[in-house]
Amino acid sequence: MNGEQSGASGTIGSVAELLVHALELEHEAATHYEGLADSMASHHNAEVAALFRRLARRSSERAGDLADRAAGLQLPHIAPWSFKWNCPGNPSDPDCLHAEVGYRMRAVQALRLAIHNERRSHAFYLQVAGSAGEPVVRQLAAELAAVQTEHLTWLADLLAREALTDRPLPEDLDPPQLP
Amino acid sequence: MDSTAIPSLGARDYKSDLKPVWCPGCGHFAVLSALTRTLAFLALPKHRIAVISGIGCSSRLPAYLDCYGFHGLHGRALPLATGLKAARPDLTVIVTGGDGDGFSIGGNHFLHACRRNLDLTYIVMDNQVYGMTKGQASPTTRPDWRRSRLTPEGTGMQRFKPAAIALAAGAGFIARGFAGDPNGLSHLLAQAIEYPGFAFVQVLSPCQTFRPESREWKTRVHPCAGAPARDPATAAQLMLTDDGMALGLLYAQVLPPFESQPRLEGDDLAAIEAEFAL
Repeated sequence: MNGEQSGASGTIGSVAELLVHALELEHEAATHYEGLADSMASHHNAEVAALFRRLARRSSERAGDLADRAAGLQLPHIAPWSFKWNCPGNPSDPDCLHAEVGYRMRAVQALRLAIHNERRSHAFYLQVAGSAGEPVVRQLAAELAAVQTEHLTWLADLLAREALTDRPLPEDLDPPQLP
Repeated sequence: MDSTAIPSLGARDYKSDLKPVWCPGCGHFAVLSALTRTLAFLALPKHRIAVISGIGCSSRLPAYLDCYGFHGLHGRALPLATGLKAARPDLTVIVTGGDGDGFSIGGNHFLHACRRNLDLTYIVMDNQVYGMTKGQASPTTRPDWRRSRLTPEGTGMQRFKPAAIALAAGAGFIARGFAGDPNGLSHLLAQAIEYPGFAFVQVLSPCQTFRPESREWKTRVHPCAGAPARDPATAAQLMLTDDGMALGLLYAQVLPPFESQPRLEGDDLAAIEAEFAL
């Protein structure tokens, strides 16, 4: 949005606060991927629907891991507009306006979208790891960034494999009524 | 708003089991997400919320929520919501729809809902096109938009200016959000729901299928300088010189809301019939 984004400024001050941010990232990612899977399914794009469901499952599993880590902690309740996403792009915003999102998209494009989103999350953790005041927060952020790196590697591998068999977009049998 | 209160429900709890049939990448997904997060943040009980809509892609939204809902007639969401709110002022009544439903077919109702100032929140998902009927120009479409076979030379008509018209019709809360900024949109929706009167929120919500160029809105939207205006003259100046892409709470002034006097629970049918006897 022209370099502007909603959200609070300031650094993350506690492990609980960082975990709330991390949970928000994973919940939003899961919701976003589930939504894309559903709409792909309703547009008969079964291949990409299955891929988005897989991505949603991964995000839900990671949210589960984070919830386990947060067990016993008093988590702050943060308003949607008060998260401290102090990094380029807002990592919790599903990039619904990504140029490649469309009902005919193929696995390669879906994976590029996922990598785009996961990179923003990775940038967020790196930023916290480098700027948080509390060492324990920096340490957890670095750990979460490392998990994110693993996930990005997995996605990159998937993308490389899919790229080998990628084919042009299928013919649109019911195109939008454009001249 | 109390930001330390622990909500009893999460955003997902406000979603129904029905899956949206919107096109992949549709801005309405983000509006749905922003709304559920807002409801969760405000900790509104599901049985105290009613979401009313008309017809169109965006008007399908009540079906995707797990609260009371009514998918009504084209352009008639506001009259339905008005009746409900008059009868049940205790409910939080939210009205959702699109630019065609709200500003064309329901344009008359929009004007009078603004001036009546009943405590409703009206969310218009403005994609500047009739999407459900496959891409015709709507009241907010640019006059030179030529990508519809129905208007191959464009409409040639001035665009409807929802914010300015709402102001002229007497609305006290006017805001504009963007589907590409769901967190900012959540903030506007929270303020709108808490506003004690008619709150109008125009949401720029791109249509990936019939207005693919609307993806570029994310590079054109910007915060509204000088907003929110607190007096109508300043607000009019702001809205009439606005490029239509300025985001934020544009105008806010608390006006006396219309308050109905619902019947007492003890009223029986015979008493009602006696009142209406000729």
